[in-house]
Amino acid sequence: MNSFEANVSRLAQSDAALAAAIRQSGGGILEIVPARTGMPSARTNGRWIHSAYDPIKEAQAWAESQSYQEGETLVVFGVGLLYHVEALCARLPRTAPVVLVVSNLSVLADAAAARTWGDWIERVSWAWGATEGISEQIADAGHPLRLVTYVPAAALHADDHRAIETALQRRAAAQAGGQLRIVVVGPIYGGSLPITRYAVSALESLGHDVRWLDHSVHATSYHQLELLKNSQHRLALQSKYAEMLSRVTMAQLAEDPPDLVLSLAQAPLILPALEHLRRKKFLTAMWFVENYRHLTYWQQLAAGYDFWFVIQREPCIGALKQAGAKEVRYLPMAADPSVHHPLELTQAEREEYGSDVSFVGAGYANRREIFPRLLGHDWTFKLWGNEWDGATELTSVLQRNGARIDTVTCQKVFNASTVNLNLHSWAGTGLDPDGDFVNPRTFELAACGAFQLTDRRSLMSGLFSESELATVSSPDELPGKIAGWLREPEQRMAMAAQARRRVLAEHTYAHRMRDLLSQIGVASPDRIGSILRGARQAEALAATATDSFPSLASTLRTFPSTQRVELKQLAAQIRSRGSMGALSREDLMVLMLDEYRSETKDLV
Amino acid sequence: MQHDEEATARRLLIQLARLGDLVQSLPVIAALTARDPHRSLDLLCPAPLADLARLFPEVGHVLKWNGAQWHLWAESFVGEFQPARLREIEQSLAELTTEPYTMAYVLNHHPRAILAATLLATEVQGPNLRGPLDEALSPWASYLRHVAKTRGSNRIHLSDTFCGLCGVTPPSVPPVLRLPSMDLPGDLAEVGISAGQWIAVVVGAGDADRSIPVSVWTEWISTVLAHDSPCAVVLVGADRDQATALAIQDGLSPMIAGRVWDATGRTTLPQLAAILKRCHWAVGADTGPLHLAAAVGTSVMGFYFSRARVHETGPYGQGHWVWQADRALPEAWPIQASVKMIRESATAPHQEPVEGWSLWQSHHDEWGAIFRPVGGRDPQEDQRAAVWSELREQRPSMQGVQ
Repeated sequence: MNSFEANVSRLAQSDAALAAAIRQSGGGILEIVPARTGMPSARTNGRWIHSAYDPIKEAQAWAESQSYQEGETLVVFGVGLLYHVEALCARLPRTAPVVLVVSNLSVLADAAAARTWGDWIERVSWAWGATEGISEQIADAGHPLRLVTYVPAAALHADDHRAIETALQRRAAAQAGGQLRIVVVGPIYGGSLPITRYAVSALESLGHDVRWLDHSVHATSYHQLELLKNSQHRLALQSKYAEMLSRVTMAQLAEDPPDLVLSLAQAPLILPALEHLRRKKFLTAMWFVENYRHLTYWQQLAAGYDFWFVIQREPCIGALKQAGAKEVRYLPMAADPSVHHPLELTQAEREEYGSDVSFVGAGYANRREIFPRLLGHDWTFKLWGNEWDGATELTSVLQRNGARIDTVTCQKVFNASTVNLNLHSWAGTGLDPDGDFVNPRTFELAACGAFQLTDRRSLMSGLFSESELATVSSPDELPGKIAGWLREPEQRMAMAAQARRRVLAEHTYAHRMRDLLSQIGVASPDRIGSILRGARQAEALAATATDSFPSLASTLRTFPSTQRVELKQLAAQIRSRGSMGALSREDLMVLMLDEYRSETKDLV
Repeated sequence: MQHDEEATARRLLIQLARLGDLVQSLPVIAALTARDPHRSLDLLCPAPLADLARLFPEVGHVLKWNGAQWHLWAESFVGEFQPARLREIEQSLAELTTEPYTMAYVLNHHPRAILAATLLATEVQGPNLRGPLDEALSPWASYLRHVAKTRGSNRIHLSDTFCGLCGVTPPSVPPVLRLPSMDLPGDLAEVGISAGQWIAVVVGAGDADRSIPVSVWTEWISTVLAHDSPCAVVLVGADRDQATALAIQDGLSPMIAGRVWDATGRTTLPQLAAILKRCHWAVGADTGPLHLAAAVGTSVMGFYFSRARVHETGPYGQGHWVWQADRALPEAWPIQASVKMIRESATAPHQEPVEGWSLWQSHHDEWGAIFRPVGGRDPQEDQRAAVWSELREQRPSMQGVQ
């Protein structure tokens, strides 16, 4: 019997349907080439899937580098010739469940034909079929899940794997019930400051215990440094100031260590501080709500954060990984419906804030060049915002002499305007030819139920449909499109309402924060994942303690069942019994551990 | 029958503080042994001090308290409390003792020591009256707290208050730590061999504010080695003191550098004890090595300043000397006077006063250690007998683990 028959017959004993499907598939994806050691290796489209020298040794090294905690199910992405799966099985305890994702049956057929599998194959469960089906099979395999990827083989089906991972994250998010303690580190000032506020509010709305380290209180001092005329002094002192705030952040973190440190763009945490946090086992994430092409300080921080979330896909994600980031995920902007929502305006407000066409924002070069084309038409145009100095052509439409516009005024303008222009900023002329990410304004206008005309962005189609947003692809189209949309009040209203529904259904900060946490949870099943699953809640802990530590279990049951309980709370509960209360052996151990815990982490 | 039970009763002394406190526990070990010579006495101390503690007379087993491991356990529990992990801790406690001790004596007024005692023994005697969660103090613990606040008139030595905490009176004779012969590393084997006076200089201290400045040591060593009669100096201390030792040597004349041995960071604690034993004198601030020198029978001269008080933590034993500063940070140091006392020992009892310092000599009587001033009377009345009389009547104890 050849390898293929031997392997497929063996497979049929555990999964007859899979065996039959492999026979049907035909194979032919992998080119089997002998390695120097004589073992079969494989390549496809000229790229090696396994080592051309020693595929077994390579697979063993890969397996050694994978983490595993007792009780987890390992989900392996990437099939190849299964050397890595064999090595993983050899390394793990025999009881550790291993699920292999098979996105393409022909690859598995090639693997079956290449070499005869050993007994280890009986430890493997197979997740195959359509994407949704695969994620269901994985979820059924048991929690917690730890996803591991053998990249050379997985790269063949990267899109499928991403979809499966997303489906798993959605499941994790839907099941999430545990409360995390999260510290959000915000910027001193700038565009990411309001986003920080929205993220904090969203995390709180999801039931997490959130502490915002709000560095905007230091803005006045920081701005004083900007007044220094000597640029050398200014830059040196600003750098020192950021370093000092980084230390302040560390001191605040040390006082009450959280489960997760979430930074927003411009958060004053420098690389050495992030490296120190990692040594002290803090988990850190950055939501980089910036255009990575314009603001490039991520290059210095990439290796510092455990997780990066960015508003752009490739090549942004690749660039961050190249700079040392380990995990980079796409997480687009959003809106906070409690801040941006439809408003009932008075007649006076409509007169003050309303116009046929409006724009709110700063005077970037592309806007200065485009907006003069909107003058002299039979519509009213109001321009709101600051940094328009020198744009003399636009003086007649500039409101409040170019003063900075606050959020409440913005919202009134959005609600009072017939057509809200939303042109993404760019330092060049016209529209950004590389424009990819969708700005917060898009989501905010939609959340207000306001009609908007925006420049087309490459990532827009994944967020809104054409029936939800009106777009232009060149500045020349703009006057015609405006005139056209002004003539279509019913369609405008329908699109605006549809866009608002879409935001409420998919694009709020609560959605984003849930996604962010579920992605971190899936990537760290033993830490964040475990808490999100509720494994740290009183009832779950009591269940695990019942047999070995009955007295501890009964103490745990004095907490509300869904309350997250940690060493600190448990020790406090034991102490609350007072000096005359009886102490069990495990009570004493908990008190002793708490004594050692109470020493502040040496972070500063 | 009663006698058999007493003979099999196991006692544990708990001292989880630093080297100086461990060495100053020798009198209470002697006193407990003298009271119940047939009952075994084990000692629980920090793991890094265990090798030294094994040399203590009258101590049965030395149990190692692994504080670093407890730190790791506590860190692993933060954010993810897992009851199952307590099994590992349970196992480590079982490795210390499978059966609880009959009695644990606690010398530290610290929750960790009190919790350890309650975990390891059925009955506990120490600072707390009624268990780890009770704040009521035993009479001796209350006295110690009062002394810490008011200082001044106290004349009861820390070692003797340890005895009080354990319900015994101080030993009639100061205990001496007798050392087995042991090898010393490299050139340190020469210490104490050649003729002349060998002086151990304890260069560092646990806290920076209790350390004698490098410039003072440089001058002190230069002065002592300038004397005509043969003399050698051994710098002693831990790893962290090595930089200080180098700085001191840098400040010495090359002419005398050949008579200075640097042992800092090069010895185990038993080897340190052996070096101190080979020296005729040990000089330094109120530190663990200084107490160790006194314990092995070497003459000690202490410079006490900052928070150090001669009456509380002076070197235990007969005939040691302590220069006590009258302010936390002395402006001048009694270098000439102290060197003269060592090099011309006959002049010591007639030492002239030095501004900013008072000189005390240690004695021992039925109430333990007492320091008496040179060239005058102690302005404070010796109230030790009255304090002992008032406090020793009560021997409170609390119950350990159920």
